[in-house]
Amino acid sequence: MSGPIETTVRSPRSMAWARRRHAFGAFCREFSRSRSGMVGLGFLVVIVVLALLAPVIAPAWMLDLTKLLDQPRFAPPSLDHPLGTDDQGRELWVRMIWGARVSLLVGFAATAVSMIIGTVVGIAAGHFTGWTGGLLMRIIDFFLVLPSLILAIVLSVVLSRGVWTIVIAIGLTSWAGTARVVRAQTLSVESRDYIERARVLGAGHWHIIVKHLLPAVLPLVLANTTLTVGSAIIAESTLSFLGLGDATLQSWGSVLKNSMDVSAATAGYWWYVLVPGIAIVLVVLAFTLVGRAVETIVNPTLRSR
Amino acid sequence: MRSRHRKHLIRAMSLFAAAALIVAPAAAANAAPTHVHAADPSDSPSSGDDAKTMRIATSGFVDTFNPFVSIYLLPTNLIRYMYENLVQNSDVDGSPTKGLADHWDVTDEGKTWTFTLQDDLEWSDGEPITSADVKYTFDQMMSVPELSVANGNLVTNFDSVDAPDDKTVVINLKEAQAPNPAIEIPIVPEHIWSEISNPAEYANDADVVGSGPFLLESYKANQFITLKANPTFWDGAPKIDKIQYVYYTNSDAQVQALRSGDVDFVSGLTPTQYDALKDAEGITVHSGIGRRYSSFSFNSGLKTVDGRPFGTGNPALQDVEVRQAIRLGTDSDTLLEKVLGGLGDPGTSFIPASYPQWTLPTDDAVVKEFAYDPEKAKAKLDAAGWTVGEDGIRVKDGQKLSIRLTIDASDPTELAISQYFQPWMKEIGIDVQVVSTDSDTISAAAVSGDYDIYLSGWSIGPDPDYQLGINTCAALPTETDGTGATNQDGWCNAEFDKMYQEQRTETDPAKREAIVHDMLVLNYTDTAQITYWYASGLEAYRSDRFTDFRMMPADGGIIANQSGYWGFKDVAPVGAEGDGAAASEGPNVGLIVTGVIIAVIVIGGVIYFVVRRRKSADVE
Amino acid sequence: MSSTVPPTEAVILEEQGEASVRSSPAVKFALTKIGGALISLAMVILLGFFAFKILPGDPVAKLAREHPMSPEQIAQLRAQLGLDKPLWQQFGDYLVNVFTLNFGESYVYKQSVASLIGDYFWNTILLTGTSAVIAIALGLWLGQKAGWRPGSRFDKVTSGTSLVWWSVPTFWLALILLMVFGGTLHWFPTGGMVSPNSPDDALGKVLDVIWHMVLPVTTMVAVVYAQYVMVMRASVMEEKSADYLVTARAKGLRDDDLRTRHAVPNALLPTVTLVFLHIGGLVAGAVTVETVFSWPGLGKLTYQAIQGPDLPLLQGTFVVFSAIIIFTNLVADFVYRRLDPRVRRG
Repeated sequence: MSGPIETTVRSPRSMAWARRRHAFGAFCREFSRSRSGMVGLGFLVVIVVLALLAPVIAPAWMLDLTKLLDQPRFAPPSLDHPLGTDDQGRELWVRMIWGARVSLLVGFAATAVSMIIGTVVGIAAGHFTGWTGGLLMRIIDFFLVLPSLILAIVLSVVLSRGVWTIVIAIGLTSWAGTARVVRAQTLSVESRDYIERARVLGAGHWHIIVKHLLPAVLPLVLANTTLTVGSAIIAESTLSFLGLGDATLQSWGSVLKNSMDVSAATAGYWWYVLVPGIAIVLVVLAFTLVGRAVETIVNPTLRSR
Repeated sequence: MRSRHRKHLIRAMSLFAAAALIVAPAAAANAAPTHVHAADPSDSPSSGDDAKTMRIATSGFVDTFNPFVSIYLLPTNLIRYMYENLVQNSDVDGSPTKGLADHWDVTDEGKTWTFTLQDDLEWSDGEPITSADVKYTFDQMMSVPELSVANGNLVTNFDSVDAPDDKTVVINLKEAQAPNPAIEIPIVPEHIWSEISNPAEYANDADVVGSGPFLLESYKANQFITLKANPTFWDGAPKIDKIQYVYYTNSDAQVQALRSGDVDFVSGLTPTQYDALKDAEGITVHSGIGRRYSSFSFNSGLKTVDGRPFGTGNPALQDVEVRQAIRLGTDSDTLLEKVLGGLGDPGTSFIPASYPQWTLPTDDAVVKEFAYDPEKAKAKLDAAGWTVGEDGIRVKDGQKLSIRLTIDASDPTELAISQYFQPWMKEIGIDVQVVSTDSDTISAAAVSGDYDIYLSGWSIGPDPDYQLGINTCAALPTETDGTGATNQDGWCNAEFDKMYQEQRTETDPAKREAIVHDMLVLNYTDTAQITYWYASGLEAYRSDRFTDFRMMPADGGIIANQSGYWGFKDVAPVGAEGDGAAASEGPNVGLIVTGVIIAVIVIGGVIYFVVRRRKSADVE
Repeated sequence: MSSTVPPTEAVILEEQGEASVRSSPAVKFALTKIGGALISLAMVILLGFFAFKILPGDPVAKLAREHPMSPEQIAQLRAQLGLDKPLWQQFGDYLVNVFTLNFGESYVYKQSVASLIGDYFWNTILLTGTSAVIAIALGLWLGQKAGWRPGSRFDKVTSGTSLVWWSVPTFWLALILLMVFGGTLHWFPTGGMVSPNSPDDALGKVLDVIWHMVLPVTTMVAVVYAQYVMVMRASVMEEKSADYLVTARAKGLRDDDLRTRHAVPNALLPTVTLVFLHIGGLVAGAVTVETVFSWPGLGKLTYQAIQGPDLPLLQGTFVVFSAIIIFTNLVADFVYRRLDPRVRRG
């Protein structure tokens, strides 16, 4: 039960913000009821904190090969070396923590690019009827049809190698799915009465889009975002594995590529292959759980399940 | 309802019975040992007695098997086995030795070379090998540009080739030269090649007529290459029947295949794979002296042959003191030990240790003078006017000493090297920016001069003349986009050029070696490049199935990828009748498993449908 | 990647919205769809050319480093590869070539790209086709059983495991399977499509190929089946609350029959298009799987084209992969139209 009922007059804006805060609180309470969602979120928080604290927990000198000349190479996991060491003597847990930074950064950045493009194009495709809408729909369909990994490979080969190339490659190849969903939602919202009303009252495109469509679409986009981050992380590791990433950076994908290059699998250095892979699986799973929990809240038709 | 029910049941049962009838015998047939198929005398490359077929794992690209055109490593290697040269490279030290030619005379101080062929040489189809074949081969390379793609540079000094009689070949050169002109050129049968309408496009990939120990029998792009033994080879027929190259995309799969007996020979192992295979049963590992050098190649101020500078190289590297300081600050021994696992030789100059008469020895005075010493490096940089800034990076005239190191993104060794190099340079006050990109971009940048340092390396042939030649000023590019010539490091030194001309005409071997030594010392001091190692070739083979691999150089050299055919020429199977029992065990288990899976699916599906029908009640 | 996100409800709703397009007369429908597919293909081809022309790099220079060559030899090689012509001329050549299905010559293999792709095309179709059929069948079956009783243990286990499998990177799973089943246990071959000494009889050859297929197909199915489970599950859950099912249940029909004879066939309709939509992800997965298992297909060609880098080959495989997916989607449109009787009116 909330506090005493206020009787003072408030501006429309502060009322809107109060409503949003209330909705957000309801969302959080709803979310906390989903066990899988909370587990996923908790895990992600731990990983993000570890990644942010990387320079503190695992200072940069631990990755400087010239300082590690006395470290054992390919040491199996033990108390001295919690996750084992790699071919140049670096501690694997150090590489994993620093790798989390790059993998998560690439995941978030690529998703952001994808989401922004997807939302903008999706709303435009749903809102504008006739020629423009049809053309945008065609473009969305075209990008849906392109095999995303192959296109990402092409882009990575063509542009100079580096982290931002991967971000662009993943972003440019995965926005179409979001755009499709956003378009569908836009179409269903467009047919509602209050939009009709706003238009009759003289609202222009911009007003309708920003004030009505965007808020209606955003929860869905949010659900989609968390799911996309997971697949962006997998995409990054795949592109690194194929040799298209920035080899000088630590990322979980490049650690796996290193393990391939030094034939860790053949030689029996199982920790080198298993640890980064399991990390990817767990993080992606966590994002998926969170995403599905959010989706359940956002889409009421799914709620009764 | 009941009768329809039963009809379905009967139909299902008969289907299952039919499936079982097909699957079971097939599984059983394939479970039998493979020499059931040896009785089949078909010509397909897959049949033949297992024990005398040596299988080699590969992933090398093939452009063509045409000896006039092919330039890729794998096919050029196989061409060495297919065609004997006029003069072969000795396995002892790579010097010229008997090939098609039995002996030769040099007259006119190196301008005329007369070769006498061996007696009774035969092509694999029975035709005699004569001087006409030799003359034909050289003439084609000299007169037809499309046929000079592979080895054209070796005949640029040829004026004419005469064949006064069947066993004599005379090569008249434009200018006298010390290196033997007849090495490294495969001789083709004139009676076959003169009949081909367009020799430059002839693929030469099936039933090849040749003179070497093995001949190409068949080729399936990216899957198999099959060579068969040549009984007419002058040094005796090989002891095995066939060599088969089997394609695998990655080296891990190759190692797995070696372990399970699917292949018998693997080369190009990584140090880790090599270490892991050391204790494997029935497998012998081999680390051989390689013929490739690896270096940091400097952009010491690229210019065209007429002196116009080009490229975006950092001008700081034009100062020899800075380059020497970088050499002093690089611990190549640690690189060899840590990155290569010690599986190589320390590098000095661009002629590897596998050519002991030409290489610059590691105990040479100049090598000792520039051994790893960071303090000396710092002193040199201080003396050159580079003062240490606040962030530890040196500055001079407002410019930071920051250089780019360009590496190949797909090469993990180059990556590891950069990860040592960067901190070492930071310690002496140089900031290194690592640029990791694909090999095409690197090649383009190397040509156009858009680099400061990149990691380079060449495979060196038995005579150093070519490699020395591409270090002369005459080999500099003619255009400012870097094109017009092939050059090793873009370095130019007039004194080096003078000595090059001297060694080219010096017929006394000891004197020639001394001149080459001085040239390498000059190159070392001027620090055109820093050679950090000569990687060993890491190979492994099933010693329980094959033996008598020969190395080149004979004392600790490599087996595959030699500049000669010694590696597999004398290979013999181990034991009388190698059963191949180990190899056939794999297919049995797998095929039985597959047969079982199919049977289970079929049975399961049938049972499911039968049970469902029985349960169905009133539907509507 | 667009095709690897588990689909949401909204997409299913949108599919039902698309039904209006499909209810036009047959000929008009066919022309519209085929026309659309051709336009997509044309755009892919254009994209294929221009994307690669941005790339700097000189494959000839790289070759020259490995093999001693004189300047004349290099010029000769460059002329052979057609690298010395101006850009507009190269584009003109490209267009002409594409219409004659000539994708140029691979830098690395020195073979025509079209013949290389021709050789390898069916191997990839075999692999991805088999994986697709198994993944779809498995996914749909599990999904409809799970969706019928949401929250049950079966549902929880199915959803849980398929989510975990979906989070696994394809290449990593391939590596693990190769390591364990190929390397350590020797149950399956370590690579390739046929054994070097394959049996001579037809059935033996078939079984040999199947034996080589087990590991790659398992990898592809494991990573992809989850999508179909989710799609089918959502669709069945949507269908469950329909009125006609209430009627049928009241009439006394068994639960299983309700599910298999009524709910599932109707739930299948929106699923069909989504299933075909996600084929793209399956086909792209072929790249990493074929690489790890050395399967001689388009995916392995793509990987080797990256290593080169071999631009004509990469161009060719890009166009072919896209064409496969465009074609599959076209088939999906026609299949949907056939399946949904509500649509065939006009």
